[in-house]
Amino acid sequence: MYPFGKGMARYLPLLLLLIPMALYLVFYFGPSVMTVIYSFTDVKNIPGSTMKFVGLENYYDLFYSGNSGERWRSITNTLIFMFVVTIVQNGVGLFVAVLLNQRLRGDYFYRAVFFLPVVLGVAVVALIWGMMFDPMSGPVNMLYDWLFGYKDMFFASFTHAFGYIIFVQIWMYMGYSMLIFLAGLQSVPKDLYEAGYIDGTNKWQSFRHITFPLIAPSFTVNMLLSIIGAMSTFDIILATTDGRFNTRTMAYDVYKETFRGSLEMGLPSALSVVQFLIILVFVVVAVRQTRKREVEY
Amino acid sequence: MVKKISAIVLAGALTLSLAACGGGGNNAASGNDAEGAKGSSGKKQVIKILHWKQENINKAMEEINAKFEEKYPEYKVEYTTTGPDDEYKQAQRARLTANDVDILADLSGMRLSPQEWTPGAKVPDWEQWINSGLIADLSDQAFIKNWNANDIEKAGTYKGKVYAIPTGKVAMSGLFYNKEIFEEHGLEVPKTWSEFIELNETLKSKGITPIGVAGKDVWPLKLPVFALQAKILGGGDQQKWIEGVWKGETAFNDAEAIEVLEKMKTLQDNYMIEGFMGIDYASAPSIFATGKVAMLADGSWDAPTIATANPDLKFGYFPVPATEDAEKNASFVGKYDVTWYAAEKGPNKEGALKWLEFFSEPENYTTFVKAAGFIPTMDGISTDSDFIDNELTPYLGDFELAYEIMMINRENVGEHLAAEGVHTEYLAPGGVYKTAKELADVQQKEWEAAAPR
Repeated sequence: MYPFGKGMARYLPLLLLLIPMALYLVFYFGPSVMTVIYSFTDVKNIPGSTMKFVGLENYYDLFYSGNSGERWRSITNTLIFMFVVTIVQNGVGLFVAVLLNQRLRGDYFYRAVFFLPVVLGVAVVALIWGMMFDPMSGPVNMLYDWLFGYKDMFFASFTHAFGYIIFVQIWMYMGYSMLIFLAGLQSVPKDLYEAGYIDGTNKWQSFRHITFPLIAPSFTVNMLLSIIGAMSTFDIILATTDGRFNTRTMAYDVYKETFRGSLEMGLPSALSVVQFLIILVFVVVAVRQTRKREVEY
Repeated sequence: MVKKISAIVLAGALTLSLAACGGGGNNAASGNDAEGAKGSSGKKQVIKILHWKQENINKAMEEINAKFEEKYPEYKVEYTTTGPDDEYKQAQRARLTANDVDILADLSGMRLSPQEWTPGAKVPDWEQWINSGLIADLSDQAFIKNWNANDIEKAGTYKGKVYAIPTGKVAMSGLFYNKEIFEEHGLEVPKTWSEFIELNETLKSKGITPIGVAGKDVWPLKLPVFALQAKILGGGDQQKWIEGVWKGETAFNDAEAIEVLEKMKTLQDNYMIEGFMGIDYASAPSIFATGKVAMLADGSWDAPTIATANPDLKFGYFPVPATEDAEKNASFVGKYDVTWYAAEKGPNKEGALKWLEFFSEPENYTTFVKAAGFIPTMDGISTDSDFIDNELTPYLGDFELAYEIMMINRENVGEHLAAEGVHTEYLAPGGVYKTAKELADVQQKEWEAAAPR
């Protein structure tokens, strides 16, 4: 009944849980609550400075000050980033996972290859693609020139830089989605396919009616991870363009305003709260939709 | 037994959370340790110096620090460097507000302070720090007298008190030029805008790319613009134009401001190296040093880097001729560089003052300024530098501070004016604005939108 024994020993697991609990409260929950409080004040990042309650002024500043146009573009960029990354990354991830699940020769090797970018880390990935996309001497530009007689500025182009960042993000995390789908695929019982084969289903039908519904939990997990991940990505932007050339997102703005803007803490706090609310809306909607499809077997 | 374990775990959890809350308390404790050490044992006191990475200067600093430790064995200098620009600003803030630094450098001198004619202007970090009592007052220190009084007044004084030591001046508005290419084609340093355009055309007709610039980092594009702004805005009186912008007498889309943008657009469209928006700052010196371009838009501080990239290269530096008035064009625009502050509440203020005193000795300063390639802010210093003596000094007569130092920005101003720049990267073909006028109109609109309510 009690794995840790009788008497006081029963409470040992609870006591052990206190440690992460305390850490969580101190390092996560506390700061989160403070952020919300700060967003209504004019607090400055200087010890001993006074703090005044200013109501909704920070929120007003966010959307109505001189650079409010950039704020709307950050939000639009964030949404574009989220939709494209979520759809393409999961689409490609699923496709590759299904291929690798066919027990083809050397599938472990391919798994490693596709998963490698996740392991590399953002700095290395940004460096690799920075070299690939070098407008002066990068191989991609040579390829463009040879194929289409066209050259691009890549990460220094106002119109294309954001697209290339999305591409790099997908390239990097596609293996992650693939791995989760692969785990889901391998848990689908083989006899279902055999039963289907006897009933005369073709490949597409067995995917549509057996695989697809049964890996719904993987879909939920993947959707959730990529929505949250994409909405809070700023590292790849920082490492490739540093927010120049129309590539700012909300998460980047929060970072920029907090650590490299003025000493004001109220405005970036308000920005994080807005960002949190937007993420929350999308996560709730996405989870509701995907959870509906999950089936028991 | 189990009881004991749970007690330990509980105690551990409690201390952990206490330790987490006690960040400020920790600092005080370590400060006390240092105090105690001074009195009793021979334990060394640490002086913490924060600076950014710039190899030539870093080396000189290490040399100076070693000499300091030799002279004052009771101190140990902890010299930390971070990446430049934003990364440095972040470290500056974090360390200063945590009282974890004794001496820190600023990227330029103290300017940009809001004036009575700039209601609602952005208050710069250094001013907020001084107002919060984080920066030590150096007015009464004897070593301040070693420095040029005018430079201290211009770049280290706030409300009549000295808070900082600017360690040198740099020219920003010039172009490095390859003397061999110039000689080979019988070209001369241009003195007026039309001579400059003619020179560019000649180079182009001979198949030589005229100008290189590191557009990817965006800020290097501001450098040639500084020359245009200083000589054109307000008829050559930038201060007047800037005040006018605040008072509504001049505007970002008036004729002078548009002329600045238009001239820069002419250069960007016709004479700059193909794909300059993709060149990052670190690789610009080597593009120039290997003879790929005849000129390079860069600050005078990069002369040592260019010389390192190609020791055989003969190069000079001249101010971008902004107007048709040769005399007016013949001076540089620049800024003060590496400005030292001492922290008031740092762990070792006394040591910080000792270090600044040591640094202010002409002999040690000479070591520093030679390595940095700055124009000295102390009188009677010989830098033994051909570059400074022959290329910079002739144009230092009317040395003015650059627009980015003089401009006082509004809080939350839009991206087309942010960071005290005019951002010509937004001009076509790279950016979306087809003409200088279009960009200028957007700038004026953003400026007005950022007006205090």
